[in-house]
Amino acid sequence: MKRRATERQGRHPRQWPVTLICLAVLLLTATVAWAQAGPGDQAAYRSFPFIGSRLAVWGIAQLHLNFAAFILGVPIFAVIIEIIGWRNKDARYDWLAHEFVKLIFAAFSTTALLGAFLLFLFIAYYPRFWGYMTGIFYPTFWVYATLFFLETFTVYLWYYGWEWLSGPKKWIHISLGVLSNLFGTAILFISNAWVTFMVSPGGVDEAGKLTSLWGAIHNPTWMPLNIHRLLANIVFGGTIAAAYAAFRFLSAKTPEERARYDWMGYVGNFVAISALMVLPFAGYWLGREIYAFNQTMGITMMGGFMSWLWVVQAILIGVLFIGSNYYLWLGMERIPGSERYRRYIPYMIMILAAGFIVWATPRSIPLTPQEARLMGGTHHPILGVLGVMSAKNTAVNLMILTTFLSYLLYRRANKVSVRPWVRAGMATQWVIFGLAAGIVTFYGVYGYFVESIVRIGFSVYQVLAVLGAIVLVMTIDIPLFRGARSTGAIRWGTIAPRSQYVLILLAVTFTWLMGLMGFARSGIRQHWHVYGVVRDTSPEAVTPALGYAANTITIVTAVFLALVLFIFWLGGLGEKGKAEAHGRAPAIAGGSEES
Amino acid sequence: MQVPVVVKVGFFALLVMGVYTYYANSIPQIESKPPEEILLEEEKTSPEQLARIGEQIFKGKGTCEICHRIGQVGARAPDLAGVGARAAARKPGVSATTYLVESLVNPGAYVVEGFPPIMPQVDRPPIGLNRSELWAMVAFLQSLGGTVDVKLHDIPETAGVQVAGGGAPVAELKLPGDPKAGQAVFMGKGACVACHKAGAIGASPVGPDLSLIARIQTPEYIMAKILDPAGMGTVAGYPPNVMPQTLGQMLTAKEYVDLVSFLLTLRGEGETSAAISPRP
Repeated sequence: MKRRATERQGRHPRQWPVTLICLAVLLLTATVAWAQAGPGDQAAYRSFPFIGSRLAVWGIAQLHLNFAAFILGVPIFAVIIEIIGWRNKDARYDWLAHEFVKLIFAAFSTTALLGAFLLFLFIAYYPRFWGYMTGIFYPTFWVYATLFFLETFTVYLWYYGWEWLSGPKKWIHISLGVLSNLFGTAILFISNAWVTFMVSPGGVDEAGKLTSLWGAIHNPTWMPLNIHRLLANIVFGGTIAAAYAAFRFLSAKTPEERARYDWMGYVGNFVAISALMVLPFAGYWLGREIYAFNQTMGITMMGGFMSWLWVVQAILIGVLFIGSNYYLWLGMERIPGSERYRRYIPYMIMILAAGFIVWATPRSIPLTPQEARLMGGTHHPILGVLGVMSAKNTAVNLMILTTFLSYLLYRRANKVSVRPWVRAGMATQWVIFGLAAGIVTFYGVYGYFVESIVRIGFSVYQVLAVLGAIVLVMTIDIPLFRGARSTGAIRWGTIAPRSQYVLILLAVTFTWLMGLMGFARSGIRQHWHVYGVVRDTSPEAVTPALGYAANTITIVTAVFLALVLFIFWLGGLGEKGKAEAHGRAPAIAGGSEES
Repeated sequence: MQVPVVVKVGFFALLVMGVYTYYANSIPQIESKPPEEILLEEEKTSPEQLARIGEQIFKGKGTCEICHRIGQVGARAPDLAGVGARAAARKPGVSATTYLVESLVNPGAYVVEGFPPIMPQVDRPPIGLNRSELWAMVAFLQSLGGTVDVKLHDIPETAGVQVAGGGAPVAELKLPGDPKAGQAVFMGKGACVACHKAGAIGASPVGPDLSLIARIQTPEYIMAKILDPAGMGTVAGYPPNVMPQTLGQMLTAKEYVDLVSFLLTLRGEGETSAAISPRP
């Protein structure tokens, strides 16, 4: 046992604690230095060689956020999986949780290095802006650095203590996992305060002078972004972990290995879909708060020069929903007994496709006079009505319900309930589905006939209907299929290889979408570093067009994926020739009827 | 030969991103540029010119069109067709000019029935119109069915005064230099004009346009850049090491101070005013 633990330590980079210490020292010394500097003591801007300062900050910030989202998102579901394994005494889940933590462990040092690099860029190339932000937030820097230390050492202990804290001490180990998530979430919330302050500053007077630090932290978009990013991190972590599993599946040499990574991919995707289903609601909340903070900013975001961005976003989200469902349908092919449910798939495709089309229909987009004449106005005479929020909310809620139905059918694919109340139970479930769809559609249509302020409130009823349906249906489904007769075990590892490309598609799409949303959040400030308070007077104050943004996002995403691949490859390097490098991998082939 | 998985996966990922990138590049490309500041002189601006400038602000920097329409009722804000005639009757005892000025700088004072009180103060950030721009805006609104008779002094002197925010320029540096003499150095001994544009002077694209240099850089940066161009870095998109390193030795102390004084006058105002100022 000791030997194995030593091997583990030897396989992972040792330099990252040093990196973290350097980062913390830099952060704290920078804080003091810049807080003392007068505002006129340095240049407002300096130019980064070749690519310019803005592009340098953009690239590094996006890369840092990608890695940070990954290392904050994965532990959330890793600890949940570990708890499931502990409560059910199922070693497979414990192995899986360990595999997930192994992935983030290797990415930790890269995240810290990129964070330090980003800090260098701000200090060196945006000194006046950084000086202002420091003047507002310097007390939070200390808390941030302290939490970083605490999280680092907790994760360290969580990972290395996996076997030491097993058996009766397992609860201590799980507590470490929970604790590391609490620290991670606190870190996320602090950095979100800085970012959201730039979008919707609070706690400062008209001259930009600090009146309340808590007001600056608890600014109008802080909490919506906290929730949105927390959920998005889980989706992101799930998709990247699933893509890793897909890569390992495609490279697998044995059926056992293929089965193991098929299962891991399924769990990663399940996690991603679960969080993805509630993500749009958090997005709407964030959007609503932006409108409430500043109507001009909200309208610029949705109806101004950024309006086309939401069409691209709709396409990406459509790909995510359709891809997730397609993966589940492909997965059903490896489950004996799933044939019963295949007849529903065409209808589900129709709903998803219709929802996708509605969501991708723009309401108001910038047009040339000639284009407006050709279309007969600024809105399309027929399809224009689908571009408003009533239609979009209805579409996304129906897509979420459909995705949940896909999961439900997948879940019961190899099960036949033996409960005497099976018919009544299933009928009730269908009624709940129908009622939820009816409520969503009713409020969607009714929304066209009421004031916008009333219409906004309808989205709450729609969300509650869908979430309520999910909870009620699952409340019936769990006892309904407990002790069910099996029609055959899941044949893990026999899924079509194209399903693994779907997992990769989802990871690439979500990473790209994160970049796009980062551009939206940053771009709505236009020529302001801090909206309405600190103006961007640099030669690069222009907010670029979508094409330029897309090119940048693609390059950064490609770099991120290449780095992730490299890190995963490094992580796997130590396993070569050591069959039991991470504890004996459990046999998955044949799977479990409970899976 | 079997293609390695890493190559297949890499190609697939690039293909997916390529499709997204192609689509994003194929739709209308719109940039958001920072608005320019407009400064107007009363004696040189006719009411028609003023209203025309106001219309430009209405459609651009003022972002009024986001909510307001002319000849079409919007969901968020009143139709402004005929507001020039209507303004005098909005509030008893308040002239059309006073009402329109108030509606811009203190919009909450009177809200048209049936509309939400969402209009921002347009002389405050983020829109931040200055007095000249407010003057033009009122003229434009008056022109919609009324008579343009607003004068610059109708706009309160406190309106459009930008408070010094966190990143706003701080107190200006007072140099004993002569900007006119500095302009001569720029065009003559310093030969700066060979590479740089400075407002209406010069047109060379070799070096960065300096027309706004006083707004985007500090005096300290400008002074250091003349003495040590390489040490202060090169602006992105321009070739490095082109600017001569010998200006510090070549110019006398007075010429140097004059040149800096001249550069500190380049705030884009003269050129902007000239560009939009009425032709005789």
